[in-house]
Amino acid sequence: MNAKIMRMTSRMLMVSILSLGLPFHAANAAIIGTDKVAVAAQIHTERERIRSFLERAEVRQQMQAQGIDANSADARVNALTDQEVQQVAGKLDKLTAGGDVLGIIFTIFIVLLFTDILGVTKVFPFTRSIR
Amino acid sequence: MINYQRARTIVGVLLLSGLYGCATPQTQSLLAKPNQNLASRVELLDVPFYAQELHQCGPASLAMALNAAAGQVTMDALSEQVYLPGREGSLQIEMLSATRRNGYVAYLLAPQLSDVLAEVAAGRPVVVLENLAFNWYPVWHYAVVVGYDLARQEIILRSGLEARQVLPLKTFEHLWARGGYWAMLVVLAGQLPATANEADYMTAVVALEKVSNLSRAEAAYRAGLQRWENNLTAWIGLGNVRYAQGDMQAAEQSFRQASIRHPDSAIAYNNLAQALLEQQRYAEALVAVEHAISLGGDAQAAAFATQAQIKNLRAKDSLVKACCAISTRD
Repeated sequence: MNAKIMRMTSRMLMVSILSLGLPFHAANAAIIGTDKVAVAAQIHTERERIRSFLERAEVRQQMQAQGIDANSADARVNALTDQEVQQVAGKLDKLTAGGDVLGIIFTIFIVLLFTDILGVTKVFPFTRSIR
Repeated sequence: MINYQRARTIVGVLLLSGLYGCATPQTQSLLAKPNQNLASRVELLDVPFYAQELHQCGPASLAMALNAAAGQVTMDALSEQVYLPGREGSLQIEMLSATRRNGYVAYLLAPQLSDVLAEVAAGRPVVVLENLAFNWYPVWHYAVVVGYDLARQEIILRSGLEARQVLPLKTFEHLWARGGYWAMLVVLAGQLPATANEADYMTAVVALEKVSNLSRAEAAYRAGLQRWENNLTAWIGLGNVRYAQGDMQAAEQSFRQASIRHPDSAIAYNNLAQALLEQQRYAEALVAVEHAISLGGDAQAAAFATQAQIKNLRAKDSLVKACCAISTRD
């Protein structure tokens, strides 16, 4: 009888231990990411995590302001490293954007034609520079 | 009258020499002292050409480089990843991040014309940023270098609507210098750029690990270790990839290599402890994490957390075992 009660109790105890909030499998909680190796000084403090979070939100918002839909902006911000986010945040409207925007007025057209021929620029496909 | 004419001549000469005299030091040194290992003429005929649509030189250039590296992407898909409609162009940083999203290492080249040519000679097209006009009137443009001819002093690009644009090297240097000497490679994971520098390569792979699938990152770390067998980042990275794949024994091996080669790395010992913990090897895990704590530094807080977790799980595990022992008695 005594043994039976003991067995019952221990089983119940076991179930309750297993269902406790303690993680049975160690989660990723304590593994340190590879990005912390290269930049030894930049182990994420809470402060830096929050800053990175805010900067990412800012970049996401700026992307949407530049005509990207919310889902794409999310994916694009996620693909950036923390350092890249830092470089972009607040500057999305000023950074170099390669896209050959040619809003040419006539004088500049002439100047560019001239410099193209000199081989200093190459704006027009039809020019051939002198050597 | 004479003075006026002379002044005009002087101004004219100054203008001309001001523009024409712009130095092209890299081209000059390249041609003066050609690198013996560099082939004198190369053209990568297999690099596909995609004519760009308006303002889409970024996606077009990236598509050519990705697909030359065995990728299968369309310009439209890339446009979704790099093009900013409000800017009518694509940012350099996103050219790099989109490369990683597609599973390739994005490697930023040193600002050296000789490095660009060396990569082309090694069979890799190079994506470059040019400023086609002036510093005070920039026309930013992405193009792909696919060949060169040192004897003819020419460089060959896929650019805009031209499948084969041939420019004098000097002209190219002008355009590229005004683009900030920016050049990038799309590298298949597992291969190394011909001009790879240890620190820059590792930075590129760590960034890839964050967004690509794990096997790509693993291949990239392995390639790095073949060249630089002591690199701490690569050993830790390889361990972290294996940990994320759930292969705790393999992760343990990598972290052990890291800790043996870099006994002062608290991160190596902390992650080793974590891999041991996952295998329920509590005693060994505690030894490793205590060593991590003793090393101090920025990783100490994380190491203390690992230690607490090990003790916690060890206590729970022994409790469960004790209960099992009682319930199976008699």
